[in-house]
Amino acid sequence: MKKFLTVLLVLVMLMGIVGIASAKVNLILWTKEGEEALDWNKSLIEEFMKANPNITIELVKKTNVEVLREDFLTASLAGAAPDILWTVSDHAGPFVAADIVEAVDNLFDLNMYVESAMDAVKLEGKYWGIPISNGNQLMLLYNKKLIAEAPKDTDELFAVGKKLTTGGNYALVWNQTEPFWLVPWLGGFKGKVFAEDGVTPTLNTPEMIATLKFLHDMKFDAKIVPPECDYDAADTLFKEGKAAMIINGDWSISGYVSVLGDDLGVARIPKVSATGEWPKPYTSGVYFMLTKGISGDKLKAAQDFIGFVSSKEKQLEGVKLLNRLPAVKEALEDPLITENPILKGSADQMVVGTPMPTVLEMRCNWDSMKPEMLAVLADTKSPEDAAKLMQSSAESCIKSLE
Amino acid sequence: MEALTAEVAVNTIKELGSMVLYIILGTIILEILVYLVLGKIFKSKYTLPYMLMIAAIFGLTMLVIYPIGYEVRLAFTNMSLRHFRSYTLSWAQGLKNFGLIFSEPVLKQIRFFPLLFRTLLWTAVNVVFHLAGGLGLAILLNRQMRGRGFYRALLVCPWAVPQIIAVLAWKGEFHYEYGFINVMLKSIGMQPIQWMISPFWNFAAACITNIWLGIPFMMIIILGGLQSIPLEFYDAAEIDGASRWQQFRNITLPLLKPVLTPAVVLGIIWTFNNFNVPYMINANELETTDILVTALFRAAFEYHRYGFSAAFAMIIFIVLFIIASVYIRITHGLKGAYE
Repeated sequence: MKKFLTVLLVLVMLMGIVGIASAKVNLILWTKEGEEALDWNKSLIEEFMKANPNITIELVKKTNVEVLREDFLTASLAGAAPDILWTVSDHAGPFVAADIVEAVDNLFDLNMYVESAMDAVKLEGKYWGIPISNGNQLMLLYNKKLIAEAPKDTDELFAVGKKLTTGGNYALVWNQTEPFWLVPWLGGFKGKVFAEDGVTPTLNTPEMIATLKFLHDMKFDAKIVPPECDYDAADTLFKEGKAAMIINGDWSISGYVSVLGDDLGVARIPKVSATGEWPKPYTSGVYFMLTKGISGDKLKAAQDFIGFVSSKEKQLEGVKLLNRLPAVKEALEDPLITENPILKGSADQMVVGTPMPTVLEMRCNWDSMKPEMLAVLADTKSPEDAAKLMQSSAESCIKSLE
Repeated sequence: MEALTAEVAVNTIKELGSMVLYIILGTIILEILVYLVLGKIFKSKYTLPYMLMIAAIFGLTMLVIYPIGYEVRLAFTNMSLRHFRSYTLSWAQGLKNFGLIFSEPVLKQIRFFPLLFRTLLWTAVNVVFHLAGGLGLAILLNRQMRGRGFYRALLVCPWAVPQIIAVLAWKGEFHYEYGFINVMLKSIGMQPIQWMISPFWNFAAACITNIWLGIPFMMIIILGGLQSIPLEFYDAAEIDGASRWQQFRNITLPLLKPVLTPAVVLGIIWTFNNFNVPYMINANELETTDILVTALFRAAFEYHRYGFSAAFAMIIFIVLFIIASVYIRITHGLKGAYE
């Protein structure tokens, strides 16, 4: 036994020497993706590594965007950050504030990317990410078997919804636990989460109160949504055909296409009847970000890989697989997009969207909106009190960021 | 995430191999250094003992002493997301950090003292139920009965399941639509409970989960204590005409004290510092379910107030130290350890 262990230890050490001595360029890529998108990540990396045998890319899947953000900050502090991130634009704010990502201005030809996508990661006059896909916006997805056409405004939504909500079936489902789903309606009521300066929270406003009242009415008066519904519950109900409509993002489309096929419809979130405005979901996208200080062979390899993913061919491959809008201008004009009804619907929603703020203060806004929105939806707080607390919470949180 | 292919295995062994190699190389360098400095320069007679201990001393310094020192240093800085790489270290900043804990909300709305009160309530509720449940079950199991081993194994199960898995399973059971508690409530015609949204019920859900998880530990400890009490005491008490209650109060409880005290102290420390249960059950990040350690985590890793959080962590340590000291002093529970 002793001999065996000694031999094993020597073998492991020898392989270690081989590992240390290896001359390959090794990149570590952290991704926020799951399911189909993760498979695409893998196939892109495999194909790239086959064409570039001297480059190895290790793909690490992070459970979700929050975990990716926290882990990247911790790893950067410890000096063990990955080389490339495949993540969302709102991470630009905290990562730029912490000075842990590299500006990409002089590293790529930025003219080839869609301007709105580039603007989403522009902070302090520089660009901090390379877009992979554009959009990330919420939209109305519906099951044509249960509802032939999407309602045009909220009055119609409530009227149709009441008919569709019967015995365990619901007209509409959405993630009632995240304020990301509140924001489109706030836009529909002409509200914004920040003042003109982009950093002062404006959460205790008549528009926010009207939005909270509207969501409360949807649940307690019209009763067209489930009493409690998180992301997974909404997703399951829609996939099982127990919900006629869902408000979800472009990342979910491919999953629904595989379940519903041609019965999946995509439309704008219904217009708010009280104001005549379309709800304004946040738009952003999925981006590559480079860790601070990346240089030499690693930077070259990262540039090559990002260039590979930004090619028209790969961008369209992503569109086909994931139904997300591309970030490269050349790919956006392809008939694959202009003639696809689902992508057309998605693009139609994006037109009325609004870019998601990436400043650090947004974190405080999200965290302040969430518990109060939940309280209104649990019927334990009035919209007026909730809006007041949202504002004071956000202000106190922003103060603590200094 | 990835399937275990030959390539993955080889890469893993390569990485592991390099790490083992570095550790061995480091140890050899350390040993040579100690030998040269103590043995050759100072000609110390303790060279061999120091050579034997140096690896452990180095490991403990790096893994325990350095992080604590770093934490204390961090408490005197303004390190945050805006001052991530270039932070300032000063006494004034340290005092400011400690002052902020008591003068401003530690998160968004919740202040330190309500949070401390909630943590004490959380600890008290859990430890009382752990103790009552554990004692009750231990007494039931500490007698001749058929299938005793089976019951014991069954009751230890929650302790054997990894805590994260158990908490995730419970979280699923608190689901409004699909959780078994609400399904059962609905089936008997009652209103389902909003476990994840309602502040009271979310806190209750965390308590229920932690009580379920903690009872087996107490049961095993108390059962061990019960089995060490000589039966002669009970025989003598019966001859003297003592009732069951009198036997429990005057024999069982006093003789269990040396076992119960460390178990309760541990229970208090573990529950007070329990992170997994209140954090995971609180899926919607309600401040009303946060206890000190979860608030500390959020302050540090969600709001990135590193300097403030380090000071906050030191305050939590002091609170816990005082509680444990007071409890040990009152119960004289560790008397046996010193005599």
